[in-house]
Amino acid sequence: MTDAFTPAAMVVVGGFVLAFIFGAVANRSNFCIMGAISDVVNMGHWGRVRMWLLAIAVAIIGASLLQHFNLVDLSKSLYQRPTLPWLSLIVGGVCFGFGMTLSGGCANKNLIRLGGGSLRSLVVLIVVGISAYMTLKGLFAQWRVGYLDPVAIDLPSLGLANSTLPTILARVTGMPAGTALLTAMAVVSLALLAFVFRDPRFRKNGLQIGSAVVLGLVIVGGWHVTGHLGYRENPETLEMTYFATNSRTLESLSFVAPTAYSLELLMLWTDKLLRITFGVASVIGVVLGSLVAALATKRFRWEGFASFEDLCNQLVGATLMGFGGVTALGCTIGQGISGVSTLALGSLLAVAGIVAGCFVAMQWLKRRL
Amino acid sequence: MEFNREFDGSGMSCPGPVMGVQKVLAEMTAGEVLRVVATDPGSVDDMATLAEQSGNALLQQTGENGKFVFYLRKA
Repeated sequence: MTDAFTPAAMVVVGGFVLAFIFGAVANRSNFCIMGAISDVVNMGHWGRVRMWLLAIAVAIIGASLLQHFNLVDLSKSLYQRPTLPWLSLIVGGVCFGFGMTLSGGCANKNLIRLGGGSLRSLVVLIVVGISAYMTLKGLFAQWRVGYLDPVAIDLPSLGLANSTLPTILARVTGMPAGTALLTAMAVVSLALLAFVFRDPRFRKNGLQIGSAVVLGLVIVGGWHVTGHLGYRENPETLEMTYFATNSRTLESLSFVAPTAYSLELLMLWTDKLLRITFGVASVIGVVLGSLVAALATKRFRWEGFASFEDLCNQLVGATLMGFGGVTALGCTIGQGISGVSTLALGSLLAVAGIVAGCFVAMQWLKRRL
Repeated sequence: MEFNREFDGSGMSCPGPVMGVQKVLAEMTAGEVLRVVATDPGSVDDMATLAEQSGNALLQQTGENGKFVFYLRKA
């Protein structure tokens, strides 16, 4: 095996390619989860929410099938830990949702905007990265670890290995784990698909349907790349290892902690212990994918800060996003699609927090107009 | 194009322009025209969606000095 085809290289290249597709498609289709929530709250328009839910349905089906055929072991992912840190998930989610609304979009949207020429988003992402790093290892981490993370439910004490719907279903009904996985997958995904395609306008929107399917498949691809292609025996320890992920387990797309790790890598480049990972490659991939889409559609446009108030909102929002994204174990993509695709209740809690934070921020912004 | 009211959303990020436009539209009477200025690129899709959802007609969309300008007629 040559160096070019090591498991780590496959994971990094795979992460870049998947994120490149994600960035290009999200730019072209104007995919934005904050915008989707805004459309519903402010205009009663569910088009982009349906797009988000369709991406989730595709990701749930794909991730569950990967699990069913033993191609990946999602029980080792961050979302299926044996504890449920419900306070961190809710508080982190609310902070992230509030912050993304102040910043005009989540971490992923700012990466897409950066590719589209927004230097304002570059500043937002730098602050997101610093705040996220502080929450991973710095001052904010003390608060998170000291006050939020300990408030958790010990799932094994309830007879549960994790907080996923299949595990709970198997526990309640006594059905085999494999049957419970397929049952939960079918029920949840069919319910989502029924809601998504109930709207005749959405059924005619080929761009949104096609884009959502691709975005969902990219998430599935992320699980496959890190959980199958990148799960190999380490020649140094002879143990099975997840290569080239910051979490040292399987991952799919998520953008807050990876933004922090990208900054860390740039600042500590000569530290030989640091490597380009799936997350770092995905941050780069989304920006370049969005850039190509913006240039191809002639929508590339340099953008800066328009006012002092705008700058203040963006900086506060970015700080909240960095803290919230790490504390809630993910962002609108990390928890909102990747996490939910594992059918983890913890991910649903985080998403509920994000939506609630976004809603509160919109009411606050409305009053200030 | 002649207009009755103007909303300047320059410097606002999504969803600021949409919320501001809705607030002004609520104060206008049917048939009046609102001129909207925005700098957020997302406002292009947002104004089209707002017009579609609310029934207020999007009469014109142009660019002036690097800003997005929209004309909406209150339904």
